[in-house]
Amino acid sequence: MSSLLKRGQILHGSNTQTAYEIETFLGAGTQGEVYQAKTNGQLVALKCYFPQYIKTDPNCQQRLEKAISKGNPDSNFLWPIELVFTDKTPLFGYVMPLRADHYKSIVDLMKRRIDPGFRELITACLGLVESFLHLHAKGFCYRDINFNNIFLNPQTGDILICDNDNVDVNGVSGAINGTPRFMAPELVRGDAAPCTESDLFSVSVLLFYMLMLHHPLEGKKEADIRCFDQAAMNRLYGNEPVFIFDPRDNSNYPVKGLHDNALTYWPLYPQFIRDLFIRAFTTGINDVQHGRVRENEWRNALIRLRDSMVYCACGAENFYDSEQLKEGQQQVCWSCKQPLIYPPRLRIENTIVMLNHDTRLYLHHIDKTRRFEFSQAAAQVTRHPQDPNRWGLQNLSDQSWTITLTDNTVKTVEPQRTVNLNAGIRINFGSVQAEIRV
Amino acid sequence: MSGMKRPGGELASRPLHFFWLADCSGSMYGEKIESLNYAIRSAIKPMQDVADDNPNAQVMIRAITFSTGAQWHIAEPVRVEDFKWQDVDADGVTSMGGALKLVAEQLDVSLMPERCLPPVLVMVTDGQPTDDFNAGLKSLMDKPWGKKAVRIAIGIGQDADLDVLQKFIGHNEIKPLHAHNAEDLVNYIRWASTVVLQAASSPASQVKDQVTSGVVPIPQAPEASNPDVDDVW
Repeated sequence: MSSLLKRGQILHGSNTQTAYEIETFLGAGTQGEVYQAKTNGQLVALKCYFPQYIKTDPNCQQRLEKAISKGNPDSNFLWPIELVFTDKTPLFGYVMPLRADHYKSIVDLMKRRIDPGFRELITACLGLVESFLHLHAKGFCYRDINFNNIFLNPQTGDILICDNDNVDVNGVSGAINGTPRFMAPELVRGDAAPCTESDLFSVSVLLFYMLMLHHPLEGKKEADIRCFDQAAMNRLYGNEPVFIFDPRDNSNYPVKGLHDNALTYWPLYPQFIRDLFIRAFTTGINDVQHGRVRENEWRNALIRLRDSMVYCACGAENFYDSEQLKEGQQQVCWSCKQPLIYPPRLRIENTIVMLNHDTRLYLHHIDKTRRFEFSQAAAQVTRHPQDPNRWGLQNLSDQSWTITLTDNTVKTVEPQRTVNLNAGIRINFGSVQAEIRV
Repeated sequence: MSGMKRPGGELASRPLHFFWLADCSGSMYGEKIESLNYAIRSAIKPMQDVADDNPNAQVMIRAITFSTGAQWHIAEPVRVEDFKWQDVDADGVTSMGGALKLVAEQLDVSLMPERCLPPVLVMVTDGQPTDDFNAGLKSLMDKPWGKKAVRIAIGIGQDADLDVLQKFIGHNEIKPLHAHNAEDLVNYIRWASTVVLQAASSPASQVKDQVTSGVVPIPQAPEASNPDVDDVW
C-alpha cells in the first residue's frame, strides 16, 4: 500500500527534465517507497523518500548527486540515474533501472522458494564479491549490505544490487548504520561507523548465509537465549561474537535440531573455503583494520570452488577436496554416502579444474592476461561423436593449442578441434600450461 | 543445474506472537469501531507480505477485545498467512486492566515456547480505563515475556488517555500514536502490523539516532494529520 505518490502523478528529472509517470507501487522500506514509472515508453524504478526520513538524513540529496555523477561501479548495480522532484510538494527521490521479475531476493533463497544448484549459487556469490570489489575500488562504501538489496537469477547465478542510495565515499559519515545480523561487531557496539572494512564483514556474513543457509554467529549462544531481543542481538553480534566453527573455541558450536543447516553444509565444502570463513569470523572479528577477508580472496576461492565441483553418479553436486585426499581420507557423496568417483581433471599451474561432462573453461583459465573473464567459453568438455566412451576437451578459442603426449609427441589442436582426456597430456594454451590428470 | 536439490531446510526462525488489544467500549460505537475493523482488515495483506519477506520469524496472531470485561476475540494463535479479522462491535465500559491481565496469563513462561522473538502487543483505545489498569499492567510486567514485549499504543480521538497509554508502553522515547481521523488510524494500524512487526524480528536498516524501546529498535511512525483541520471524531 503506497502513501506518498499516486498513479498517474508526474515527477521531473533534475538533469534531463524528463517526465516520469507513476504506474504501480512496488514496495516500501524504512527510507521510502519504490514505484514503477514510465518515461518515453521505457519502464524505470522510482524511489521516493518519506519526509520524516529526510529529516534524519539531510545529506541524502547531495550523496545521490555524487553517486549519479560518478556512475555505476559495474552493470550489476541498479544505480541511480537522476534525481526526481514532485511539482507541488517537497517530496523527492531518484530513478534507477527496473529489476526484471526473474531476479529473486535472498529471502527467497533463505526460505527455499528458489533452489538454485551449487554452480548457480557459487556464480551468484562470485558476482557479488566482484561487484563489491568494483564498488570499493572506486572509493565507495556500501554501508547496508543485507538480504533485501541483493537479487539473483536462480537459473544463471547472475546478480543485481539495489538500494544504492546509501553508497558514499568511504569515510564520509552517513545516516545508515547497517542492518542487524549483517553489521560488523564494532558497529553493533557503537565503536565505529560504517566503512569499507565493515562492508567486508557484511560480505562474509552474506556469503555464509548463501552457502550455508545459516548465520555464522548463531550457535549454542543463540540457542541459550529465550527472548531474542535487542540486548540478545547486541551480545551475540556485538559484544561476544564467537564463530560457530571457531576451531579454538567451541562455546558457540551449532546445536543439532536448531542449527541443522550449518551442520549439514559446513563439512560439504572443501577445507580452503572453511579456512577462509574461519579467518573471516575469528581474525576478521578481532582485527578490524587488517584481519578481514577481502573480495579478491573470496573471488579466487569462489572460482576455485566452482572449478572443484564434481557430480556423483546419484546426481548430487559435490566438491573435490585435495586437502582431504592428501590426508588419505576418502570423500563420500553428501547425498548417497557412496565414495565419490572423480572425473578427469586439469591441473592449470597451481589450480585444479574438474573436467565434468558439462565443464567449460574460460579465458580466465587459459590466458594469464585475461584473468576473471568468464563471458565466453574458451574450451568445453565434449563427447566423441562416434565413440560415446571417448571424452575430450574442445578448443572454442580462436588460438591453436600445442599439446605434448606422454611419449613427447607434439601436436596442434586448432580452434574447434578436440584433445582426448588422457592422463599425462600437457596442453600449452599460450601463456598458461596445463596437464590432464585421471 | 544437476536437478538435485541442495540439502538442508529453510533458514532457522523463531515464533513471534502478536496480540491486538482492541477497545470495544460503548464510546467506540459507530464510526470509530467501523474504522477500526476497516483498518485492521486493510492491514492484513501488508502484514502478510512483511511476514512473507521475513526469513527470521514465524508470526502468530491473537486478539483480545475489552469493554465490560475482557475476552479473547482470537484465542488460539493463528499463523499470519491464515489470519482473518471478524468484525467487532462496541458496547459497555473500558476494562483495559482486564485485557492486560488476560494477555499476561498467556505470556506465562509455561505457556510460551522456550525460544521466541519479543512478543508484540498493540493496544487501540479511545478512552480511559474504567477498571484497575495498574493491577492489569502489574500482572503483565510481572511476566518475563510481558516485560520483554514490544508495546505499542494507538489512541483514537480527543478522549483517549495518552498518559495511561504511555504507562502501558513503558518507554518514554516511544509515544502513543494519536489518531485524529480514520486515515491516521489506518496508517498507524498498518505501521504497527508491518514496521513494528519487522522491527521485532528482523530489524531493517538502522537509521542513526532512531528510537530504542529497550526491546527492539523501532523506526519512526508516520506523521499524524493536522488535528485542527481534519478532526472527524
